[in-house]
Amino acid sequence: MISTILKTEWLKLKNYRAFWLLLAVTAISYPGINGIAYYAFMDSIDAKTQSGQLVKMLLGNPFAFPQSFHTTAYLSSFFTFIPAIVVIMLITNEYMFKTHRQNIIDGWKKNTFIWGKFISVLLITLIVTLFYLVVASIIGTIATPDVDRAKILEKAHYIGLFSLQVFCQLSIAFLLGLLIRKAFIAYGIFIFYSFILENMLSGLFRLKSKKWGIDYGHYLPFEISDRLIPLPPFIGKFNEADNKLAIAAIDSHVVYTLALTAFVWLLSFYIFKKRDL
Amino acid sequence: MPVLEINAISKSYGKIRALDNVSFNIPKGSVFGLLGPNGSGKTTLLSIVLDVLQANSGVYKWFGESPTYLHRKKIGSLLETPNLYHYLTAVQNLRITQTISGRGNEGDIHAVLEKVNLHERKNSRFSTYSLGMKQRLAIAAALLGDPAVLVLDEPTNGLDPVGIAEIRGLIRELATKGHTVIMASHLLDEVEKVCDHVAILKRGQLIACGAVEEVLSAEDCLLLSAADQLLLTEKMGGYPGLVRMNATAEGLECYFAKGASSAEKVNQYCFEQGMVLSQIWAKKKRLEEKFFELTSE
Repeated sequence: MISTILKTEWLKLKNYRAFWLLLAVTAISYPGINGIAYYAFMDSIDAKTQSGQLVKMLLGNPFAFPQSFHTTAYLSSFFTFIPAIVVIMLITNEYMFKTHRQNIIDGWKKNTFIWGKFISVLLITLIVTLFYLVVASIIGTIATPDVDRAKILEKAHYIGLFSLQVFCQLSIAFLLGLLIRKAFIAYGIFIFYSFILENMLSGLFRLKSKKWGIDYGHYLPFEISDRLIPLPPFIGKFNEADNKLAIAAIDSHVVYTLALTAFVWLLSFYIFKKRDL
Repeated sequence: MPVLEINAISKSYGKIRALDNVSFNIPKGSVFGLLGPNGSGKTTLLSIVLDVLQANSGVYKWFGESPTYLHRKKIGSLLETPNLYHYLTAVQNLRITQTISGRGNEGDIHAVLEKVNLHERKNSRFSTYSLGMKQRLAIAAALLGDPAVLVLDEPTNGLDPVGIAEIRGLIRELATKGHTVIMASHLLDEVEKVCDHVAILKRGQLIACGAVEEVLSAEDCLLLSAADQLLLTEKMGGYPGLVRMNATAEGLECYFAKGASSAEKVNQYCFEQGMVLSQIWAKKKRLEEKFFELTSE
């Protein structure tokens, strides 16, 4: 059954230019953001000024192994919205062309249809993780003068954290597309919520956290998985106490993220099963 | 055993009752026409038996069994509009149909495209097709793998007269091969030409169902003319077994309960009443006429 689902989803995607174009944009954006950050950093520490030398002394090189895995994951996560657009497109296209109905009419169970999308989102996550891994490895190699093989993988757990974060956020994008059904409205809500509204809510909860004794902002849908990859130490040093707490909370957020992702997919299965197509 | 048994199916959209306790069976090997004006519930009913809509109550069975996805794989269906991927070509779209349904193979894909006259455009994207070509491709998808049962919702939508005649020929060919075709259509002429069974829906209620001949001839109709039409009307008013009369430009239409009269008896009756008929014609009712009669207010 899985091979049939995989084959069908592949047939849907392999000749879909917009899909490959957006994946290409994602593939460019990762080296883009990380490259710009890397060269900006190198420029600042290369300067023969006192401040340049101070930066070098304080921060080390955040792009060198093993820190490269963390820094690159953090910077790359700003561009998760591009594969999220791909995921929204995959589900809203089915509604636009009414092919979600035809897939059922032709003999798929409703659950099979959602499994197809689950596998697609998983594959996109793997592709995106691969892009990140390649960028982290290349930048790490360039930035590390003497590569100590034993130390390279010290922070390799960020590969898993990055992929979990991407999968969770793409799953939310999928649910949004499933609920809204109209591509542009779903894109708009996704961008508005993830870039603007959640940040506003997060700020609001942070302000209230002293009064309430808890920061509910940490449990907002995107923030739950955003906190899998805390600020890299070279930025985190500016607020070391908070950063230590964030690093200590990673394990908890792995659990929260897994729970949220499971909930999102269970809800997707339920909605598709119960809804008239 | 009927191919499809529909039992007391009802469906509402809010306050609107789209289907109200509809029950009928579709015999194996029949070409079954589902008729009704816009909004009568034809597409809703087909959507329910294809599992894209859920009935509020009632059940249906495919091939005498409770419906599953495995039954749908065996049924070639075109529901409402051609539902295909706009960015894919005809062949690429049919490969998806083939993979999901398991019907047919690569060779069959090309064969059905030949059958619907799309083979020359097989590598063009669906989005570049005219409405008629899109409809042909959707019909090709339904025909893929030669399924024993076809559900075709308005199959001639968007087709030119040649295309309509081709589809009519195709349905007849399927019928001779023993396939069951369930067809919803507005084109009563088409239905009359190809269907052997018919069900008529009106505002979600089943108002007639059965073999076409049975549905059409619930009454016998004779068209009479005489020199004095007024006198003829007056005299026929007293004829035993007459159900109703209707004066038309062609003559006087006299309706009798089925088998209650014949041209010979009426002719004799008129002669005994001192009238000589200039015309007496056993009029066969057309489906269109019956449809309007049943569905009018």
